[in-house]
Amino acid sequence: MMLIAGTVPIRDMPLIMGSVAAEGEFLMVAGKRIPCTQGTGAMVSAALAVTSYLGLDAPHVLLVGDIGEGKGSRELYQYLIDHVDALAPTVLALHYWLPDMSQTRQLCAVIDACPRRPIMIADAASMYSAKAAGLAEKFDIFTPDASEMAFLADPQATHPAYINKHLFETDIKRTPELARAAYENHGAARLLLVKGATDYVINAGQVLATIAEPNVPALEPIGGTGDAITGLVSALAFAELEVHIAAIIAAKANRMAGKYAQVTPATRVRQVIAQFSSVFKDYLCQWSNACLIKGGN
Amino acid sequence: MDIFKRKQKVKFEGGGLVIFQGVQQAMAAERGLKAAGYIVKLVAPPPELRKGCDLAVEINLVEQPGVERVLREKDLPYVSVDPIKIDTSPLLDVVKVTDFGEWIMVKAGNMKMTYEKTSGVIVNVSGGGCPDIPYLHAELVDKKLYEASRPKDLGYTLCALNLERAFDECLALHSGGDKT
Repeated sequence: MMLIAGTVPIRDMPLIMGSVAAEGEFLMVAGKRIPCTQGTGAMVSAALAVTSYLGLDAPHVLLVGDIGEGKGSRELYQYLIDHVDALAPTVLALHYWLPDMSQTRQLCAVIDACPRRPIMIADAASMYSAKAAGLAEKFDIFTPDASEMAFLADPQATHPAYINKHLFETDIKRTPELARAAYENHGAARLLLVKGATDYVINAGQVLATIAEPNVPALEPIGGTGDAITGLVSALAFAELEVHIAAIIAAKANRMAGKYAQVTPATRVRQVIAQFSSVFKDYLCQWSNACLIKGGN
Repeated sequence: MDIFKRKQKVKFEGGGLVIFQGVQQAMAAERGLKAAGYIVKLVAPPPELRKGCDLAVEINLVEQPGVERVLREKDLPYVSVDPIKIDTSPLLDVVKVTDFGEWIMVKAGNMKMTYEKTSGVIVNVSGGGCPDIPYLHAELVDKKLYEASRPKDLGYTLCALNLERAFDECLALHSGGDKT
């Protein structure tokens, strides 16, 4: 099972868990309609696009309403702490929540004791709390953007608002240097997919790939495109691609979907996500070198 | 036997300290923040951060904007909010501006806000990772800069604070006649 956990911006929505399905512009989980907008909604939508195309089980999602007050976030993490052993996901992707170092520490301890360790992926504030708690190395994949890469490289920062301004002012081309610092400071997951004008896939400090084409600068302002990449890489890892291959394909697919959608800075992320099936049809076989994957061309 | 097992007490790790001039102020703030739903703890601040009394309130640093709002609203005076790690850099105040022709994107830390030059309408909010950001996205997108609520008034976290900086810069650029 692939499990995605995160908050959604619906005030007072209780904790829900279930398999996700698409319904028009919305997601349906346990009878609740979830908007496909910036944040966990975009991530889940992108993951669902992959599993639907490949004919895999739809992602299971653990969602709770939280608009920043933290109560829902704490319930969500406590549920994971109490139940992740029994749920036994093969991929566990953690997303938006109010970062809490104590609960992250508890969750990682529980997962360490699981008979079968899931592939651990963190983005957004789940990545922030993992790094802040000194637990980044417990994760298989982080998906930072350039400013979050600076945060991972700053040994003192517990949130990107407190990063050293000299790190923030660096160019995306200095990503390998920042990544080296992050690995030295134990602030990086095993694999980093750094999202920017050029995307970097870095494993244990070594740059494995850079992706710069197609060049679609207008993707950067669109809220949720980074979340979509995390959904793609999570689902492709669930499809048992090697994680670095999953990361490379995720970066390429997001760019290509942006090109297909002819995005502008005013485009909505669901318009990008709607292009993924066409992108997979045209390119997944070529990129994955695994044309026997169901649905591949 | 299981029924005699006790859950190990979990240590609170907030990462931030509210500093006060007096002990009574610290205790009143702790009560006020707890009543507002925040998880906080009275602690002794390290000597490097001590500016008044030897009692501080530990908070989840990410919640700094929400905590400060509660303290202001309840008229609970404090000296400052600081990261516990004394070598932490100050709050980032650098912004970067990217011109996309019809649109301007302003980046502040991990947050980005983009508006249309002619109309001043916010067309996208991106970046961040805290739970108030998708909420702010929903509340701000498609609104004109001058009509939108401020991110700091709606949000609770440091991500919202970064978005506030981006919002301020968008307002300044738009009011400065940046409609080229």
